[in-house]
Amino acid sequence: MRSDGHVDVLMTTCRIAVVIVLVGLGLSGAAAQSRSASSVRIRTLTDIAGRTVAVPATVTRVADPWHANNGMVLMMGAADKIVATTLQAKRQPWFRKLFPRIDRVPAAFDESGDVNIETLISTRPDVVLMAYGGTMPKWMPAADTYGIPVFMMPNTSLADLKTTARMTGEVLGHRESARAAEWIRYFDGNIRRVTAVTSTIPKSERPKVLHTATGTILTIDGVKTVVDDWITVAGGINAADVISNARPVTMEQIAAWNPDVIIVGTAPNEANRQAIVSDPRWTHIKAIRTGRVYVNPTGVYLWDRHSAEAALQVLWAAKTLHPDRFKDLDIRQETKAFYAKFFNHTLTDAEYETIMRATAP
Amino acid sequence: MTRRVVLVVAPFVLLYVSLFVGRFDIAPEDVARMLASLVVSIPHDWPESVATIVLQIRLPRALMAMAVGAGLSISGAAFQGMFRNPLVSTDVLGVSAAAGFGAAVAILLDRSLLQLQAFAFIFGLLGVVITYMLARVYRTTPALMLVLSGVIVAAFFGALLSGAKFVADPEAKLPAITYWLLGSFNASTVRSVVTIVPAIAVGVAGLLLVRWKLNLLSMGDDEARALGVRTEWLKGIVIACATLITSAAVSACGVVGWVGLVIPHVARMLVGPDHRALLPATLSLGASYMLVIDGLARTATAVEIPIGILTAIIGAPFFAYLLRRTSATWQ
Repeated sequence: MRSDGHVDVLMTTCRIAVVIVLVGLGLSGAAAQSRSASSVRIRTLTDIAGRTVAVPATVTRVADPWHANNGMVLMMGAADKIVATTLQAKRQPWFRKLFPRIDRVPAAFDESGDVNIETLISTRPDVVLMAYGGTMPKWMPAADTYGIPVFMMPNTSLADLKTTARMTGEVLGHRESARAAEWIRYFDGNIRRVTAVTSTIPKSERPKVLHTATGTILTIDGVKTVVDDWITVAGGINAADVISNARPVTMEQIAAWNPDVIIVGTAPNEANRQAIVSDPRWTHIKAIRTGRVYVNPTGVYLWDRHSAEAALQVLWAAKTLHPDRFKDLDIRQETKAFYAKFFNHTLTDAEYETIMRATAP
Repeated sequence: MTRRVVLVVAPFVLLYVSLFVGRFDIAPEDVARMLASLVVSIPHDWPESVATIVLQIRLPRALMAMAVGAGLSISGAAFQGMFRNPLVSTDVLGVSAAAGFGAAVAILLDRSLLQLQAFAFIFGLLGVVITYMLARVYRTTPALMLVLSGVIVAAFFGALLSGAKFVADPEAKLPAITYWLLGSFNASTVRSVVTIVPAIAVGVAGLLLVRWKLNLLSMGDDEARALGVRTEWLKGIVIACATLITSAAVSACGVVGWVGLVIPHVARMLVGPDHRALLPATLSLGASYMLVIDGLARTATAVEIPIGILTAIIGAPFFAYLLRRTSATWQ
């Protein structure tokens, strides 16, 4: 009997505790809702999915689950606003060097863009910036429930890259918007400068370029990608006619394509380059015979992807594919000017070399 | 008799065919002369680039496919006999899950292909050693304990593998891990053939040597012991050989399912359940099957189709058909 009494008391205590917790949660939820509803002025923006997204008039806290876009935010001078990011973004050596505080920003998002919703809520973001691949993230309902706006931006071409820069700037504020516009002008200028030369190159003189995405397991970047875009701008032809990024292809397919130039993307680039150059199966590929196998530069983010440095990538690729036609183009000087202007960092020659070799500073 | 001749000849015919079929047209007679040039000196009147494709790309790849197909099939047959269970295949003891995790770790750490293969091989062996130790009961390893321990080890390494995928960069490493786990012979080189095929051959030789004892073991441990078989010793040999083969296979080409399950059944339909004839037959059928599958994988489209997808898409319906036809008569 005595023990039954104890159990009763225990059960009652538990019930009371549960009720208290539930009421507490409800109150805090209501408080959060009323805060966002009453005290903050709202702007509405349209994202790439065509959704109308309401964000605070002044955005001071942004969650960025898109690795590459973290570097864009840094370029706009707003890295201090990043309150949630990804492991991949936190690991980029140059990004960490220029913005050491990223070490203290939680990685609320996993590598596939999925989220730890509690971590995300605890960082109190004004908005989440996301790459749009045609579908909304599966945690959207949870974000809606907690009043966290999610803003989608495009990511499959160089034009998309500019749109994303513009949109990111708009979301972040006036200062960032102006910075994005400045970057877009610079980017457009570089594209004009390069295409003025490359647009006159006949098809027969455009090298076939193979861009590798991964090394250990060889994958290739195909068409309908940012990579394909800058190859075209720089006066080359993508050797791979497969669609999308990081596609596995057979060795003999590569032999059949017989690329004139190979550009090795993704760390560890130099090791991956060595693996290709020393592999007997590649011996008769034209790029290996003529010694035209290059490491793609990597800075704040991979130059060949959705980075601020894509603006430099078009210059570097043009010079790499057509050294004779771009004799006057000094990549070292352009790179130093770019980092000084857009990342407020004066590159030493040694640092410039690490970027070219895609190694850590 | 003709059946036996077909079984012996088929893999070699398919090997020859797979040397001139591909994304790149090469005449069969050129291939024949290139092969001949490996042993006798004849004038080289073909471009070196074509020789590279045949001798450096297609030949290593085809040899690797044969070795892996044959190895996985004979291990599957030996395991099915040893466990007296037709649903068992080579990865029942957790070798594939463990080896897959090893490979994923290598990809995460940006290791070279050779190191990736070493990681996969070592983790595969490690997984089975853990399973075996878990299953030891009073110096015996009952089949049930082995299978359950295998389930535990596979689940554990499966979870570790998911963890590795969870932290992998989705733009480069995650696709690489996923793609590698689905299996491909694209990484085959002369060097990998020279290092991996001998390991598989040792395992195959071991299984062939004890194949007549498998007949006794498949009657049950007690009966086999009564007939004078040292069952624990024999089981140990079978497990060691099959694990050597499977770890080597996984390190060569990733995880290839279904082959070790389906091919032994096909072989049993052709030559019956006697392991003395069954095991050699699985070698031939496994090698042939894998050559055909890999031929599809590398020629159907510009993008390589992962082997694991093809073996399951073709293997599963085929297995269903076999089940309907031979239900309950597998032994």
